Amino acid sequence: MSPTMRRYVRYALVLLLSVALILFAQEIKLIKNPDSTPITSMTFVGLGILWLFSFIGVIIADLMKLVPIKVIRDFPILGWVSITSLTMCLVSDFFVEAIQAVDFLAITTPILTVAGISVANRLVDLRKTSWKVAIVAVFVFAGTYVCSALLAQLGLFLAGN
Amino acid sequence: MVKNFIYFLVFVLAIIAAAELIGIQAISIGSMTISMLPLVFAIAIAMILALPFLRKGILKKIYSKKNVDFASKYLIFIMLPLMARYGSDVAPQIREILQVGWVFIIQEIGNLGTVLIGLPIAILIGLRREAIGATLGIGREGELAYISEKYTLESPEGRGVISLYVIGTLFGTIFFSIFAPILLDFGFRVEALAMASGVGSGSMMSAASATLVARVPEMESTILAYASASQLLTSFIGTFTMVFLAAPLQQFMYKYLVRGDKK
Repeated sequence: MSPTMRRYVRYALVLLLSVALILFAQEIKLIKNPDSTPITSMTFVGLGILWLFSFIGVIIADLMKLVPIKVIRDFPILGWVSITSLTMCLVSDFFVEAIQAVDFLAITTPILTVAGISVANRLVDLRKTSWKVAIVAVFVFAGTYVCSALLAQLGLFLAGN
Repeated sequence: MVKNFIYFLVFVLAIIAAAELIGIQAISIGSMTISMLPLVFAIAIAMILALPFLRKGILKKIYSKKNVDFASKYLIFIMLPLMARYGSDVAPQIREILQVGWVFIIQEIGNLGTVLIGLPIAILIGLRREAIGATLGIGREGELAYISEKYTLESPEGRGVISLYVIGTLFGTIFFSIFAPILLDFGFRVEALAMASGVGSGSMMSAASATLVARVPEMESTILAYASASQLLTSFIGTFTMVFLAAPLQQFMYKYLVRGDKK
């Protein structure tokens, strides 16, 4: 196998792990709350589609690295995957229906679990950050959110909607 | 080594199961309700068990360098199915979104709030050049790259942006999942809050929009559609907002705010 090929196989397997974890989370969610999104054959189709769109997005992101325009080269993989999925979902409602059979919150739990593990070794970096920046961080995060929300609220009001 | 990876997988499954079984917990403080989602418990458990003094025996094997490196290297790929899910939320509402498209663009300017609100506070509590790095944006990869290019990461500005990056990585999602519904109690419209959720970090956006969904479940499709459309827009024009608006505004305000400092 060529190195590129091997890299793609690895991506494919990690994506498979990701959708498998989602299925697991949705299953546990159902045990806790039987009224949450049921697991049907559509859920499996939906997971397969999520896997496929993610993989297509990865390939597109790689191909776009060859484009001479910096903004496009730097556009994140996450964005390419959203665009791929959005385009496909506009083409056919079937994709929408299948993906919606996957519980939204069940998708988020595995991600944040892995995120928590990934920062394990940065916990010690906290000691190096000053408490002052921690205070500022609260206002920085709150600032961007509140300002955007105010403008959005105003905009929606003016749009009469 | 393979054994350590199996421990890792079992551990991930255990945390997911624990987080999902805890479920959604609503905490009322006065008239405000903070809903804690499984995703908050998941990241909290994973981080608490990683504390250095707990890392003995099996936990040491789970948090081996290889496993932690695997998690950080492939986190972005683990996130991709979520991004694909957002396509299916936006698509059915694309017409309404395009109709109020200009509102989406206007609220992007709200991302200057990091400078407008963060910078005066930073100067007030005594930060100087660190404040440049710590308030340019929410301290994700874009700001990190910009600051490191302009000032290097060893400079005070660099230290500022790295500190913010670390804090955001550790606590950003938890912060937004608590903060977003608080604003709901302040009377903001859920559509506006959903739009504002596209702050430029996929996980922070998901946390903010997910708690909004938990609070207003009947608006789920609108919330997710608006949040992800706004996130997508931020990833397109966020760099421009930073370079052409946030950075000049920051320089201007910085000079004004520290003018009394001299000699």
